[in-house]
Amino acid sequence: MKRVIKFRPVLMAAVAGAMIATGCVAQDAKKGMSGPPPLAPLGPPPIPMDNLQSPAKIGWGKYLFFDPRLGGDASTGCSTCHQPDQGWSWAEDISRGYPGTVHWRSNQTIINSAYYGKLFWAGSVTSLEKQAKSASKGGVAGNGETDIMEARMALIPKYVELNRKAFGTEWPLLFDAYRAISAFERTLVQRDTPLDRYLLGDKSALSEEQIRGKKIFEGKAGCIQCHNGALASDENFYNIGVPGVKRWEEDGLAQITFRFELYAKGSPEEMYRTLKDDPGAYFRGKNKWDMGKFRTPSLRYAVYTAPYMHSGQFDTLEDVVDFYNAGGVAADGRTTSFPETKSPLIKPLGLTDQEKEDLVAFIEAFSGDEITVEKPEMPPYAARFTKAQLQAAQEAK
Amino acid sequence: MGVRVTSGRSLLAAMIGVGMAFGAQAASVPDLGPLPPIKVNKAKAELGKRLFFDKRLSGDAGIACGTCHDPKQGWTQNKPLSDGYPGNGHFRNAPTLVNVAHKKVWNHDGRIGTSLNDMTREMITEDYIMNMDMRIMQERVKQDPVYLKMFKDAGYGEPSNGKVRKAIPEYLKSLTSRNAPFDTGKMSGAAKKGLKLFKGKAGCIQCHNGPLVSDGKAHNTGVPENFDVFLNPNNHQAFIAFAMFQGIENYMNLKRDPGFYNVTLDPADVGKFMTPSLRELKYTAPYMHNGMLKTLNDVVAFYNAGGGKDSKKSPLLKPLGLSNSEQKDLVAFLLSLSGDQLTTAKHVWQKPYPAEYAAIKNWKNVRN
Repeated sequence: MKRVIKFRPVLMAAVAGAMIATGCVAQDAKKGMSGPPPLAPLGPPPIPMDNLQSPAKIGWGKYLFFDPRLGGDASTGCSTCHQPDQGWSWAEDISRGYPGTVHWRSNQTIINSAYYGKLFWAGSVTSLEKQAKSASKGGVAGNGETDIMEARMALIPKYVELNRKAFGTEWPLLFDAYRAISAFERTLVQRDTPLDRYLLGDKSALSEEQIRGKKIFEGKAGCIQCHNGALASDENFYNIGVPGVKRWEEDGLAQITFRFELYAKGSPEEMYRTLKDDPGAYFRGKNKWDMGKFRTPSLRYAVYTAPYMHSGQFDTLEDVVDFYNAGGVAADGRTTSFPETKSPLIKPLGLTDQEKEDLVAFIEAFSGDEITVEKPEMPPYAARFTKAQLQAAQEAK
Repeated sequence: MGVRVTSGRSLLAAMIGVGMAFGAQAASVPDLGPLPPIKVNKAKAELGKRLFFDKRLSGDAGIACGTCHDPKQGWTQNKPLSDGYPGNGHFRNAPTLVNVAHKKVWNHDGRIGTSLNDMTREMITEDYIMNMDMRIMQERVKQDPVYLKMFKDAGYGEPSNGKVRKAIPEYLKSLTSRNAPFDTGKMSGAAKKGLKLFKGKAGCIQCHNGPLVSDGKAHNTGVPENFDVFLNPNNHQAFIAFAMFQGIENYMNLKRDPGFYNVTLDPADVGKFMTPSLRELKYTAPYMHNGMLKTLNDVVAFYNAGGGKDSKKSPLLKPLGLSNSEQKDLVAFLLSLSGDQLTTAKHVWQKPYPAEYAAIKNWKNVRN
């Protein structure tokens, strides 16, 4: 039955409806039987065989992550939108985007991104390496092109040196730069949260309130149906009723990007003309039943990553809990534009105020200390040739 | 016969060896003369004019076509190397756009020989030039009610990136020489003497011929490299990106602009560049593909000396033995090829653009 849930969302709907009615999901989880995987302490991140970690890669990747020259007009690097002091994310509803644009989705944290098998809200890529590529090249993200970014790296002597150590090639390749960035990102993990410590046996790591919240998380609220396992994400796609970006209705710049995304990701004409919400996972297989579905995000580090959801419509964790308690409807009454695909897992929960507080307290236990790093000083460009070399070449013409 | 010279390299070498019989050759190349009129659709050109000066047509909305092709600077920039896109520099001098619609081949290296539509696409999308994802550009244009009306009035219907690429060339057709003394017949005595030299002793007309004063071919005149292309990393990165994208081998070690080689990949074509038109050059200093010559006097002196140093230099170039007064007359003639500056509202969009994109009202209920 678990397999069915994982891979057949359509079937899942009917089955899950029955399960929720009897409360058997939470029960099974508790007993470790056929329910969702239980919450678990986070292990070390998976390291892909074709990009093993090395100090040289990580070191170069750290520079690159913070370097705005890895973007179209040399102003927009990874950290421009994934700001360490904004939860390695961007603290507005939707990400800031490339200059002259705004993005269309909420920016996700880099912390623990190493554990995902599906990156981006609609799971469009399967590795950090590919995520870095999409983000650095996307028109409303980095808007960079391979040739100019490789040319820039080649004219930064420090990068030529770091690349040589990390990858052994004479000149940096963008492909390897993405690998280095990913290696750095795989160091940005948090495995010592109160929840991790609790699950590893330190029963004092969670407060009474949080322990009550954990029961609600695993029981009455049913959060664990999707937020399960060590990552607190099943990496499946659901439409839970999150409304679209309110800003689309009143912000011309955001309207431009909305249409661009429909256009660029490939929409039938009528869909391009009429859609007013983000169809999410639809763009993976262009299946109607995936409209408005997004990949379950991890709850780890969530304390630092407000606002929440793919459209950044909720400012606080309290708002998020209220949204679920109302059965997937926002406080202002807004909900998904794709009600036909909404998950039957989402129903009014009937939580009391105390239960909601306990649940928020528990969700906070997925976050440890804020992770900061010292931003490296950006190494300068240098001329590749001396004037004497150029003069000699001129003479030889 | 002179026309053929430039299309057959081996033939050319043999013929030039015979001697520089300028007078005879001059008679066989297309003569100078007025440019033929071009029909321009007014509404489409007006739309193209607004697009041309609109910074929203570049990736970060920082520059417009008119930034590097500035009407007040002769539709180029009066500096050796063009600015390029923010974040990088450039490796060549921006050519003037006056009379650009009369060309058959564009770019100093001649890499586009199809249409101004393709040339417009190249400039807007190339990462070191305007770095624009045209799909975003299309949606930006659609967000501006002024454009919605102008596209409709021009008969284009709904804005699209393809129609932007039609409207801008239509506008470029309107940028043509006006009232050049050479065309109006009001040349000074010195200019008339210069014209004789141009066609005779100086032999300029071998390449600078026809109404556009260009043969539309590539030649190596030995213009020295502009070291700023390589010493300034911002310019050099644009050059490397260009060479990498074009597939020019050994791009990291190039110390010279390969020019027309980019088109043919024939080593004989290294250092050749397209003959530029000489019209409107009064306003377009500095000169040559890389802006290495500051004034027209420098240009004439350069040719008088037989061009620059290059083992593959065109054999058409030999020391000319022009006297100082002959050089002055030649410059006077060159200046007679320049007419009125196109700097009024007739050619330049002068109305302001909106500071931000207005939201579409009732967005949820109207069609995108």
